[in-house]
Amino acid sequence: MNDQLEFMKKRVRAGEHHSARQAAPIDVLAECEAENLSWPRRVARLVRRQCEAEQIVIAPDEQIVFTRTLPAVPPIYNSEDWAHLTAGRTLHELGPVSNICADWSLLLSQGLLGRKQVALESREQLADDPSAVEFLDCAIETMDAVIGLATRYASRAQTMGRDDLAVILENVPALPARTFHEALQSLRLCHAVVWLGGNYHVGLGRFDQYMWPYLQADLAAGRLTSQKAEDLLAEFFISLNKDSDLYPGVQQGDNGQTLTLGGVTPTGDSAVNDLTYMVLRVAREVAMIDPKINLRISAQTDLDLLSLATELTRIGLGFPQYSNDDVVIPALVAHGYDLVDARDYVVAACWEFIIPGRGMEVVNTGAVSFPAAVDRALREGLAAKDNFDHILERVKDHVREQVNSLADAYSHLLLPPAPYYSIFMRGCLERGRDLSEGLKYNNFGIHGAGSSNAADALAAVQKFIFEEHSISAEELLSALDTDFSGREPLRRRLEEQGPKIGNNDPVADTLLVTLFDELADACEEHPRTLRGGILRPGTGSAMYYIWLARGHDGMREPVVGATADGRLQGQPFSANLAPSPGVRVRGPISTLQSFAKINYRRICNGGPITMELSDSVFRDQESVRKTAMLVRTFAQLGCQQLQLNSLSLGTLLDAKAHPENHKNLIVRVWGWSGYFCELAPEYQDHIIARHLYQTD
Amino acid sequence: MRPQIIRGLAGQRLAGQEYTATQLAALLNQQADILRANEGGVTFSGGEPLLQAEFVAEVIDLLHRVHILLDTSGYGREQDFQKLVDRADLVFFDLKLVDRAAHQHYTGQSNDLILNNLKILSASGKPFVIRVPLVPGVTDTDENLASIARTVGGLPGLVRVDLLPYNKAAGSKYRYAGMEFKPDYDETRPLNINTMLFEQSGVKVCVA
Repeated sequence: MNDQLEFMKKRVRAGEHHSARQAAPIDVLAECEAENLSWPRRVARLVRRQCEAEQIVIAPDEQIVFTRTLPAVPPIYNSEDWAHLTAGRTLHELGPVSNICADWSLLLSQGLLGRKQVALESREQLADDPSAVEFLDCAIETMDAVIGLATRYASRAQTMGRDDLAVILENVPALPARTFHEALQSLRLCHAVVWLGGNYHVGLGRFDQYMWPYLQADLAAGRLTSQKAEDLLAEFFISLNKDSDLYPGVQQGDNGQTLTLGGVTPTGDSAVNDLTYMVLRVAREVAMIDPKINLRISAQTDLDLLSLATELTRIGLGFPQYSNDDVVIPALVAHGYDLVDARDYVVAACWEFIIPGRGMEVVNTGAVSFPAAVDRALREGLAAKDNFDHILERVKDHVREQVNSLADAYSHLLLPPAPYYSIFMRGCLERGRDLSEGLKYNNFGIHGAGSSNAADALAAVQKFIFEEHSISAEELLSALDTDFSGREPLRRRLEEQGPKIGNNDPVADTLLVTLFDELADACEEHPRTLRGGILRPGTGSAMYYIWLARGHDGMREPVVGATADGRLQGQPFSANLAPSPGVRVRGPISTLQSFAKINYRRICNGGPITMELSDSVFRDQESVRKTAMLVRTFAQLGCQQLQLNSLSLGTLLDAKAHPENHKNLIVRVWGWSGYFCELAPEYQDHIIARHLYQTD
Repeated sequence: MRPQIIRGLAGQRLAGQEYTATQLAALLNQQADILRANEGGVTFSGGEPLLQAEFVAEVIDLLHRVHILLDTSGYGREQDFQKLVDRADLVFFDLKLVDRAAHQHYTGQSNDLILNNLKILSASGKPFVIRVPLVPGVTDTDENLASIARTVGGLPGLVRVDLLPYNKAAGSKYRYAGMEFKPDYDETRPLNINTMLFEQSGVKVCVA
């Protein structure tokens, strides 16, 4: 990266642009109430007023502009009206539509004026449908507002003598992008405005696919050199980090600014192109937390590409995260996705597979706590003197119960309108329907969390109580009730001598497979959801690996105490697909072999195998290649998703003690990377603990 | 060989587990396809494989066509060494000190067996790498490095010499094993990593 870009990155990291931020959010509520606006019109008004209130910021060295100056998204309802509007309904997380992905090629190829033309035509055809007319008017209001904002940026650029920028901003986003530079500028502005309107976890989609035609044409015409293209890309990536402290998330960094690379074309051929490599190279140079990269691979993926990707892991970025097309695409098809759409999947904020422009899916409606299901089944089953198969039947019942309770809550889901976001979705403007009313795919995702602990607990019971008869049911139950107080030898036996997930152990692995099959059964048995969707079972855990162990305000899922795998009350569960915390496994290959056994065709909501590698494994090029081979092995074994992290224990401990020296230390927490020093201490401790067990 | 208690940062645990040769080979064979497909293999290393040569040979004979690396201090009986070299595809062979008296002083044993096994290794025609742990003021002297270069220079089968800079984590391993670590050399003294001495003898050298 050149000095100018280094300087720009430094300024963004130091937050120099924060000085341009306005002191207070604007007021939109008053006019919404005075005019008694409908909900869609309030949202459109919000987007328009936000665009109008944005102050223009252009640094002299910027090639790609937009710096957000508004500190927050103001309310459009007072609390009383909001309570009335949402009474008896379920809001997903913060409320606004989140964690879906636009089809950004609609913006780049048609421009906002092209989209507006589509809206105007629909408005004529649907003139008798008042709700369609209202939606289209709202969408048009927001497009005009964004074009207005771009025009103000253009005239400021002109005033500053930056004719180069002015020319670009007079063209995009109103008109189709003519160059790679214009495409990046158009995307930067229109993507940022989605956040400005209160939507969040706004993905960037298949960046190397929709951007490549612009870059390819520029390179072919000699308008751009590869070096200049990389510089523009680097600046674009830096710009994505400007506003991320304003974005909502459980922890800072959990913002879902993800992009997806690689994969296949609509006809199933490899979609990897020069831009795929360029994005990885530039992300390695920029080394910031955004954008988070997902790489779609298969058993055939070139080792050079995997080695380059490993270089990003090596420097500790916590991405790319890998998804295996050989497994993901058939699973999506098995869940009702058209093949051509399944081939176009991207990864959502964390790990869920969604279709850009075609999915209004709520991929994380909650988690089934496998440990709670197993705990209840064990307590009831052992008390009733069940055999082991009957205990498994009880687990199935409890999994189903949890699935149904989550699905019931979401049968009352209320999605706020999002007229601006709808512009970039397939069919909204054509049908005159807001995306919140549904797109082609309207499924809900449910993850199965704590799976390794739950399988280990079942395996321990099977071995010690039913096969060896070396521990009695009463002994185990009373130890669980007292959190193993005074029973440390028993606890250690359960923890150290039971069959464990991650060792390619047939006993434990079979139970893991059973748990996920039970989850899939429960999802399949569930009737269609409110908009005709299905429930998608997944393997992720997000923050649930801590919440399910310790509880959390407003959580619908059950909390469980000490568990039969020897885990003490309050200790975190396994995150996503990983061996239970504290369990020592034979190595990464046996771990992959364990998780390869899951029936992924039935489990399509994603959730990665999560491995932390000590940075000491990346000492030289040869070891980078070996790690790339590990990634290839992941694909060859038929696993679904993989997240690798590189960490040194000494660095982590020092960072906790002296955060001031490690402001740039990036770690992957669950589905996202964040700055270690900005995490709450409990997350820091968990990452440190995971590291201790794997390297001492 | 019995499992030993390790006193690590994450609490005490037993290091090691007992296997029969059949059990261990079955475990390793679960990954044989993957290892073969990825330029991988199985390494038998320290402890010291020569101390259970019979067992190691039995395991290797049960493995399904995987690359075998023998990582040894070279200190063991000639017939044991021969048995494992015959079954290995590549050998990592430690050479710490060439001077007999110095070797006796720092390791507690003479290096006769080691130097003899080196001859056997060289005669076997198997490719091998000489590994020299650099201990400040002990093994990293010009004198010792030059003797190592003289000893191994020109041996058929020699792939390269690896110089392994002193690892300060060594002391923590003593604590793991419940022992006190009291080196009679200065751990903090800068290392003499003199690769020239090898290059002059035409020996390829790497610093790991």
